[in-house]
Amino acid sequence: MSALLELRAVSKGFGGVLAVENISFSIAQGELVGLIGPNGAGKTTVFNLVSGVHALSEGEVLHRGARISGSGPTRIARRGIARTFQNIRLFRSLTVFEHVLVAQACRSANRLAQFSPFGTVAEIDRRRRALEALEAVGLAQRRDELAMHLPYGGQRRLEIARALATSPELLLLDEPAAGLNDTETDDLRTLLDTLCSRGFTILLVEHDMKLVMRLCSRILVLNSGRLIASGTPAEVRANQEVIDAYLGVAN
Amino acid sequence: MNVYVEGVLALMGINILLALSAYAILATDRLSLGNAGFMAIGAYVSSYLSVNLGWGLLPAFALGGLTAAAVGLLVGLPVLRLQGIYFVMGTLAFGEIVRTFFQNFEPTGGAYGMRGMFGTSLGMIYACVAVFLALFLAYGMARAGLAADAVRDDDEAARSIGINVVAVRLLSFAWGALIAGVAGALFAHYALYIESGNFNFLVSANAVLFVILGGVQTVWGAVVGAIILSLLPEGFRFLADWRLTAYGFILVAVMALRPEGILTRGMLRSLRRLLARTA
Amino acid sequence: MLAQQIVNGITLGSTYALIAIGYTLVLGVLNKLNIAHGELFMVGAFTGIAVARMGAPLAVSLLAAFVLAGLMAVVIERTCFYPLRNASFLSPMLSTIAFGILLQNLATQFFGSDPSRFPDTGASFQLSLGTLSVSAIHIAILATAFGLMIGIDLLVRRTRWGIALRATSDDPETAAQQGMHPSRVTMTTFFVSGALAGVAGMLTTLVYSQVTPHIGIRQGLIGMVAMVIGGLGNLRGAMIGGLAIGLVETMNDAYFSAGYRDLVIFSIFFAFLIFKPEGLFPAHRSS
Repeated sequence: MSALLELRAVSKGFGGVLAVENISFSIAQGELVGLIGPNGAGKTTVFNLVSGVHALSEGEVLHRGARISGSGPTRIARRGIARTFQNIRLFRSLTVFEHVLVAQACRSANRLAQFSPFGTVAEIDRRRRALEALEAVGLAQRRDELAMHLPYGGQRRLEIARALATSPELLLLDEPAAGLNDTETDDLRTLLDTLCSRGFTILLVEHDMKLVMRLCSRILVLNSGRLIASGTPAEVRANQEVIDAYLGVAN
Repeated sequence: MNVYVEGVLALMGINILLALSAYAILATDRLSLGNAGFMAIGAYVSSYLSVNLGWGLLPAFALGGLTAAAVGLLVGLPVLRLQGIYFVMGTLAFGEIVRTFFQNFEPTGGAYGMRGMFGTSLGMIYACVAVFLALFLAYGMARAGLAADAVRDDDEAARSIGINVVAVRLLSFAWGALIAGVAGALFAHYALYIESGNFNFLVSANAVLFVILGGVQTVWGAVVGAIILSLLPEGFRFLADWRLTAYGFILVAVMALRPEGILTRGMLRSLRRLLARTA
Repeated sequence: MLAQQIVNGITLGSTYALIAIGYTLVLGVLNKLNIAHGELFMVGAFTGIAVARMGAPLAVSLLAAFVLAGLMAVVIERTCFYPLRNASFLSPMLSTIAFGILLQNLATQFFGSDPSRFPDTGASFQLSLGTLSVSAIHIAILATAFGLMIGIDLLVRRTRWGIALRATSDDPETAAQQGMHPSRVTMTTFFVSGALAGVAGMLTTLVYSQVTPHIGIRQGLIGMVAMVIGGLGNLRGAMIGGLAIGLVETMNDAYFSAGYRDLVIFSIFFAFLIFKPEGLFPAHRSS
């Protein structure tokens, strides 16, 4: 059975500087994998390459054995790969509910359905399913608020809800715990655990080491654009190269 | 109603349509400075049909608008792939190409223009305004309208949730072209005479100014801006020679002090809540 | 005959080059278009006319056009760009549209909408080189325009201002940290861009001897075409683009049809935007 996501010898250069170099790894369905590394290691670049924001310089990205490198972000999202952004990119003029509603159309084959009036049975059903994404992150009661009025933690959760609303099989989460306090981080951990047990596959970029070590079954470590380690939390914690890369910051 | 007032109202109605056509693409965060070109296409096509081929007004107007929309699709395909400033310049180029084309195109009069059109009434103009406005509002309420808002707010985030940003922009561009084409047809059959100079860059620029003065965040802004800027020169008549200069000053001042325009989304929301409470 | 057309083309093109340089400077430092740039051409033209009508010699009129257009450009920067620097990407450009209309209305106010003429200079000097005929005015334009172009090139490449300009274009934050005040750099850049356009306006008036308040629309557009063809962001490219368009226009009028002049130019513009937006000499920007 082919892996859900596979990177083969992926490299990306920007104006002569290699941001990532010769990266290969694969993720199986249902895994919760962490992607860590010091600042500037290339983690977000990997996300941008997988989600189609940047074109690869070398190598390929495969989704269930099919080549997706070279496709644009829209097509990749429609294949079931959703992502959040490191610096939260919400829609200024939309409410919380409208965020999940507009994302809901992602996987539907019927593109004309987005013009349908409100009262139809199909439309009501779509709205109910969109609401479920909000309920999963605990934002359902704030559905009519403007997204930009949410507190920081709420905005991060909304980004996740929006990604969930696209009915993805793979979630790329870029630093979802950044700026969250301890309680919020615990809630996030519970949420991600639940998602994993419900069958979602998650690739997680994070700086919060406690979170990553407790949550992830496998961890990939990047440094200066190269993959320097891949293994269980215990293995990675003990890896000398990883320790050196972080200069003793490892937990 | 005396002729003068009717004239002011007629041009105001056409300005509202032009503002709506500029709004259509501005609402997806792209600035078109060439909508006068679509207006010209609608004007000349409908005029040729009604004067030279004896068509009825309604089918002539419809075909004029549809031709403009078709050109909008054709031109939009390559032009919408251009980034930011390049897109603006592309629309500028398009508008000028259309204008200079009709300046030289003998079958529609070339530099001498076309005459013989008639038949536009105030009722017709405002019926079109009502229809297009209603369609905008319906679109805004559908999920499709949300997608357009998402594209405007953050097109990269919109792509990440599967929205085909180019398609949304192309549709909006062609839609704006259609409206401008109909405005052109109405204008030609009201003014009784048209020449290429009627569809120059200033017309495109003014259409955009209507929207940004009124408020670029909602479709009502386009309407309000067109109404205000159409009536302002009339209201300024007491200033005699300084009328136009005052007009210019006001525009610049508003842009510097309140760039989001008169009507904002927030204001509309508050207004809606106020109306709901009193109902 | 051909040689004559070439001389005419280069003369005309040199004025277009000055306009294109102005666009390029502003684009380089702010990454935005000053859509009222064409009106700075018009301001220069009318300033020249007004000062000449007061009896001043040509050089004084030229200087007045240079200074006033430059100052007006700074006014545009303070009114349309600086207050809106944190607003949406399109806002400043939309504001310049409004400002351009204001300038056109002001000019109509003071000079009327009928064409205004430049007072007779009395210079009827003609140079004859074989079949070539070069008038004093041609020489004046060529000398001024090329002088300014070379001057700008030197300024950008050799002076502190030029370095600050390029640094601010590439990376405004770092430039600010290194003591190059972005606001000051921007204002001087606008001044130069406007001054050049103003000179172009005055020179063009000498050749065609009449202008209207709306002349800036077409001149501005042609300057944009020159900038894109030459290569967006590339100062020397803008100069070459301007000369090229001048030649295209002159050749078109001589060998094709003057009525199709703008149709030809804007079609070339459109073709470049679609197929070769980076222009003939793409600027190498550090990504």
